[in-house]
Amino acid sequence: MALKEQEKRPVAAKGEHIIARHLIEDDYIKEEKNLVIDGVDVSGRWNTFIFSRVNPKFDRSFFSEIKKTVVGSRINRCWQCGMCTASCTVTPLHRRFNPRAFIYMMQLGNMKELKKYVDVAWRCVGCYKCSQRCPKQVNPAEMMEALALVMKKYFPEEVESKLKVDEDVKKIYEDMILGNGRLDLAKLHISSMRKMGRTKELVDRIEGGAVLKMVKDGRAFSLLQLGKPHGWKKSRQAIEGYLKKVDTIEKN
Amino acid sequence: MLKENQAAYYPGCALLTIDRAYNSSAKLVSKKMGVELVELPDYNCCGIGEMKSKGAVSMYLSLRNMMLAKSKLGSKDLVMACSVCYHEISRSIARVKENKNELEAVNSIFNEAGETKDEFVPDGKVRHLLEFLYNEKGTEEAKKNTVKPLKGLKVAPYYGCLYSRPSMYTFTDKDPKMDNSERPRFMHDFLEVIGAETVSYGNEVQCCGGRNVVQDEETSFALCSQTLSKAKKAGADVIVTICPKCAGALDVNQPKIVEKFGKDSALPVVYLTQLMALAFGFSDKEAEIKDMISGPIKVLREKGF
Ligand code: SF4
Ligand code: SF4
Repeated sequence: MALKEQEKRPVAAKGEHIIARHLIEDDYIKEEKNLVIDGVDVSGRWNTFIFSRVNPKFDRSFFSEIKKTVVGSRINRCWQCGMCTASCTVTPLHRRFNPRAFIYMMQLGNMKELKKYVDVAWRCVGCYKCSQRCPKQVNPAEMMEALALVMKKYFPEEVESKLKVDEDVKKIYEDMILGNGRLDLAKLHISSMRKMGRTKELVDRIEGGAVLKMVKDGRAFSLLQLGKPHGWKKSRQAIEGYLKKVDTIEKN
Repeated sequence: MLKENQAAYYPGCALLTIDRAYNSSAKLVSKKMGVELVELPDYNCCGIGEMKSKGAVSMYLSLRNMMLAKSKLGSKDLVMACSVCYHEISRSIARVKENKNELEAVNSIFNEAGETKDEFVPDGKVRHLLEFLYNEKGTEEAKKNTVKPLKGLKVAPYYGCLYSRPSMYTFTDKDPKMDNSERPRFMHDFLEVIGAETVSYGNEVQCCGGRNVVQDEETSFALCSQTLSKAKKAGADVIVTICPKCAGALDVNQPKIVEKFGKDSALPVVYLTQLMALAFGFSDKEAEIKDMISGPIKVLREKGF
């Protein structure tokens, strides 16, 4: 009788209460919706069981590829404590963004898993809370840059379809910095908005006010005030020459 | 070459254009406190964090400025007011000091460009304007110059990320002269000696989402609205920043944030140096308060500054 009443209790969705649930595929979780053992109702979350996900045949070559880069050079030090994820600014806003897990996947060269996160991999805001608190000085903030490099090299199609805008905006930054030596912020903003197909917003009620103000007081025409470093051409050629020579994934 | 009481100053791109108010007020305040900021000629962009994935190139971009400071102004050290530039250049120095191969790579670009005859030696220091004024001139000097104390103004100091983090680049917590990484104090101290009252609101070292402010507005707006509304709830009249990127996210985007999250997120933004300039007797025109989009001029005038 008592049991029957209990059965009416809402049962949690499969694995709902596991922290970082998205990291575990559905068929790795065993969870009976209705289960009574020795007269005790252990339905739903109470009988959750996760099968082992250990993969002894991991690919180490990938690891050394990351280690060769500047941003990823400390990947070997991470001992998976999770302090980075616990500190992260972005994780509470986007649950699937998990620096610790990303570093683990990179250590093992787990391409299958990495591929699932192409859409969130670029969310890092570069706040360096993780690097400040990491007990092993892994510098996870920069490891997220290494992650971006990996994604670009190994999943170009996914990056193209899901992250076109991010890539395009990054390219605008790079072209401007390498091309002129300095950054024209007003032009940068306008070009980025154009790439995102949002030129209309520049003149609408909300953003239009700020833009108009900057046009009126002259700040929007910044290139005139900004100038260009003398002899930048030589610096630019040296940078381009260097990028041609190096043989890491930092190339493109 | 620099004279006595002059310092090599790296303006960066934002301060020469959109954030000119920060640039001019920084110069006014420093001069009043007895040090003239001399702009570094032919400086180049620090890389603004977007070049990190280009390996040694990101370090070359920053270090080229350190090299120029030495060759053009005869100064090992370089002062800057933007937290992003500060981060980028201090990162490069810390990295090449530690990694010989990275220094070699940077040197190879220098040689290719024909910019250094000898090897580049990373023996200089980058200094954030806040830390520079605090350690070189001190709060006493600010107190002495205050002719119009900001009595009755409640301010929320906002440090953001890169002024204090990560310690491996900024030496916060490590060097006793530097600020604390989790609970910085230098801005509080300056604001208090010029007569303002600081409020505590819990988001002092939170992130504004700056790096992805163009590509990922959603995240940046959520973070900024939290910071602004918390500061407002704590009773602040204005929120005070020391970084043009934070100002971009909190100030320039504020109309959009208010549109999305409501009036609770409407709080005027000013630069620390603008408030200091007001307290030192400069007019609001000289401090270019009107440049700010979020309209701090109204509350400042109401309070009589
Ligand atoms: S805090 Fe550092 S050691 Fe811990 S999981 Fe993150 S990167 Fe690894
Ligand atoms: S730097 Fe990136 S990964 Fe690290 S805490 Fe900030 S948002 Fe998270």
